[in-house]
Amino acid sequence: MSEYTYQEPKEAVFDKPTQLITRGQCVVVRLPSELTKMVVLGQGKLVNLGKFGTFCSDEVVGYPFGQSFEILEDNKVKPIGALLQTHDEPEDAEYDNATDELIRNLASSENNQQIINIGTKIQKMTTAEIEELKETGGAGVGKQIIEKIIASHDAFDKKTVFSQEKYLKRKQQKYLRRFTIDYAGPSQVLQFYYQKDPSRVLDMSEESLGMMMNLANVRQGGKYLLVDETGGVVLYAMMERMRGEGMIVVAHENEHPNHSVMAHSNYSDELIDSVVKPINWLQFFDPEEEKIGWTDFPQDIIDGMTGSKRQQYYRRKRRATDVNHAINLVESGNFDALIVATTLHMPSLVEKVLEKVGGSRPMVFYSQFKETLVQTQHVMAKDLRVLAPTIFETRVRPYQTIPGRIHPVMSMRGFGGYLLWATRVFPKEGITAVGRGIVRKENRKKQKIEALDELSGAPTEESTPEV
Amino acid sequence: MSFTAYKDTIEEGDFVFCWISREIIKPIHVKAGEVLGTRFGIFSHDDMIGSLYGAQISSAKGYGFIHLLHPSPELWTLSLPHRTQIVYTPDSSYITQRLGITVGTRVIEAGTGSASFSHSFARTIGREGKLFTYEFHEPRYVEAKQELEEHGLTNVEITHRDVCNGGFEIEENGASKDIRANAVFLDLPSPWTAIPNLSSVISKDSRVGVCCFSPCIEQVTKTVEALMAHGWSSIEMVEVSAKRWEARKQMVRRVDDAVERLRDVKRRKDAGIQRRKDDIAREALEGTEPSIGDKRPASETPQPEEKTKETGFNPFGKGVRVRDGDPQWEWINVSKVESDIKSHTSYLTFAYMDPNIRVVNPVEEVAEIIA
Repeated sequence: MSEYTYQEPKEAVFDKPTQLITRGQCVVVRLPSELTKMVVLGQGKLVNLGKFGTFCSDEVVGYPFGQSFEILEDNKVKPIGALLQTHDEPEDAEYDNATDELIRNLASSENNQQIINIGTKIQKMTTAEIEELKETGGAGVGKQIIEKIIASHDAFDKKTVFSQEKYLKRKQQKYLRRFTIDYAGPSQVLQFYYQKDPSRVLDMSEESLGMMMNLANVRQGGKYLLVDETGGVVLYAMMERMRGEGMIVVAHENEHPNHSVMAHSNYSDELIDSVVKPINWLQFFDPEEEKIGWTDFPQDIIDGMTGSKRQQYYRRKRRATDVNHAINLVESGNFDALIVATTLHMPSLVEKVLEKVGGSRPMVFYSQFKETLVQTQHVMAKDLRVLAPTIFETRVRPYQTIPGRIHPVMSMRGFGGYLLWATRVFPKEGITAVGRGIVRKENRKKQKIEALDELSGAPTEESTPEV
Repeated sequence: MSFTAYKDTIEEGDFVFCWISREIIKPIHVKAGEVLGTRFGIFSHDDMIGSLYGAQISSAKGYGFIHLLHPSPELWTLSLPHRTQIVYTPDSSYITQRLGITVGTRVIEAGTGSASFSHSFARTIGREGKLFTYEFHEPRYVEAKQELEEHGLTNVEITHRDVCNGGFEIEENGASKDIRANAVFLDLPSPWTAIPNLSSVISKDSRVGVCCFSPCIEQVTKTVEALMAHGWSSIEMVEVSAKRWEARKQMVRRVDDAVERLRDVKRRKDAGIQRRKDDIAREALEGTEPSIGDKRPASETPQPEEKTKETGFNPFGKGVRVRDGDPQWEWINVSKVESDIKSHTSYLTFAYMDPNIRVVNPVEEVAEIIA
């Protein structure tokens, strides 16, 4: 393998703020309803959260990520302890003391025997009245609404304390003018796109994404080969685990790769360009054809160019350099991992690209369908260049986390994808595995295959003939 | 530096993971003249020196082989000597992702245990990051310390300490070390006794995430109460369940073929009866009287295997050893879950501490923003 080196035109500096809310940054705004929004905090820019109110970007700058706020009058905010406050949290807020008191002062029931579901009749406050209150705006209007709703609830005292709390939480989610500013990391961006349209991120869950990163051993300084059809979520996660150091060659099937997610990442274009090297499949498989011949013009000719001509010249030079660089990287191979999240047919893809993976390096394939990976695993099991292909499914089950009332939540997302993990190896020609019983010459080849299958986890027990 | 960067060729003194089977991965330090004995044969270290990582080598006798793999935290998790129950990759990778642990993160881990997660943390946090890991059991601490040093994990600092009673602070030159952790992982029998000790060692100017790893629901209850009492919020407990699937092949056995085979069996049975009848009739004509049930001489009896294989209709390869995927038959790709799954590892309780302060006044802010 020839070692190909390339001098970067300039060192990109990693200076992305990850702990502090900074002006101009793309951030995630999390609402009490658990919905999230992506917002760029422009100077003086107002952020409209619909029924939750409006705040000015400048108000939240300078706080650490994760900070929660309550919207006050004049687009101002005040920092608060947490987005939703439960009954027993001792932290802060007159509000919570007030509702605590409210609940304490009102009677509650031992059980729900007295609860009769008669819908709207039980609530004396009308929607119009609530809307009217909302119109008045101002600080603490959410709190006022909730207090009134509870006061006008005929059967609030018939509820148990538990159900009173749940009711309160529901109303808080609906009326509280609060929000949290979160860091727009890969997990948050994934969650955001997942909410909008799961198919856009190939149904990928955070746990699948995290496991991909670990199984592929992604770290600072690595050189990776990536196929990513999630709009760049996988790419972003890798960038975060490399912090600007290393190289990601992204193979794609279009004129340009789709990394739209990277726009939320707050990485500079220079930094992205220094790490991410796109290559399309034509360039990948037909390198000699696709390399761009380039000779620098003599300096006096460049000097004599008009401004726009010169710009064009440098653009073409840049493109030739980039394309040739990416092709050279692929030709020299020896990647530290192959990471694939694609809808392209994986069994044929793997045969064609695994040569590019370095010895003992991991290969991780993500698919929203297990069947795709099953087929790929069958192909891998027969390929002596692949060791121990394994399909994983990982799912996170959330629980209601209230002491004394801990239980799994009633519903959770049903899918999150599957992973196929394998290791690239170099088979040795003409060696024989230890078989069962005496090894006869004519059986050696057969036994070798059996033992290989055994090692690589392919099923052999039921089906292999006894020697 | 085997856990922090790949190299291609094995040299003397290198750390090599010998892949013997899925269940047996043997980590060794390569030393000229030494051998590795396995159930697949004896392998000479001399053969390993100069080989590529990923290479397959054969035993001294010429048959039997192993693969020589490069160390990685995930392979280490599969091969390490268990001093305690360990944190497996589906849990550790999720915790890492959810707590946003990346290059530069400062992490607290207690206890170290078998140091499986420590290796994974050390890889992910890189040179700029720092892992402070604590182990209260002295023999385990000594072993782990030696291991971390041997593995070149210079971004890990291990301390022999019971963090529940002694806290997390580390003395250095008479002063307390600046730990400023951004993420905390507590794998302790009673995390609620360690939670009060965290306040002095976590970052004061950024959000801090904690994950408590406990197998029992009673532990979760006490942990959540302690987290609430000490100002942690966004508390959520989850469970990770992971399964391994195996790819298999199932033969396509059509009911039409089953019917056809029955028809064929019947046809041959009828033919046999007819032949028997004919024999009896012929024998009666010829004057010999065989008693009922007499067998024909062995030489006239067709061999059963031959009959099935050659004369009968045998669409499913009955009586023949068929290899899965044999192109003579039709197959579909199927999968089944591994025979034993880890149905419960531990509950993961996550929570966050927000400093609730404005670190930078936007008026004085000078940081240049990237577009």
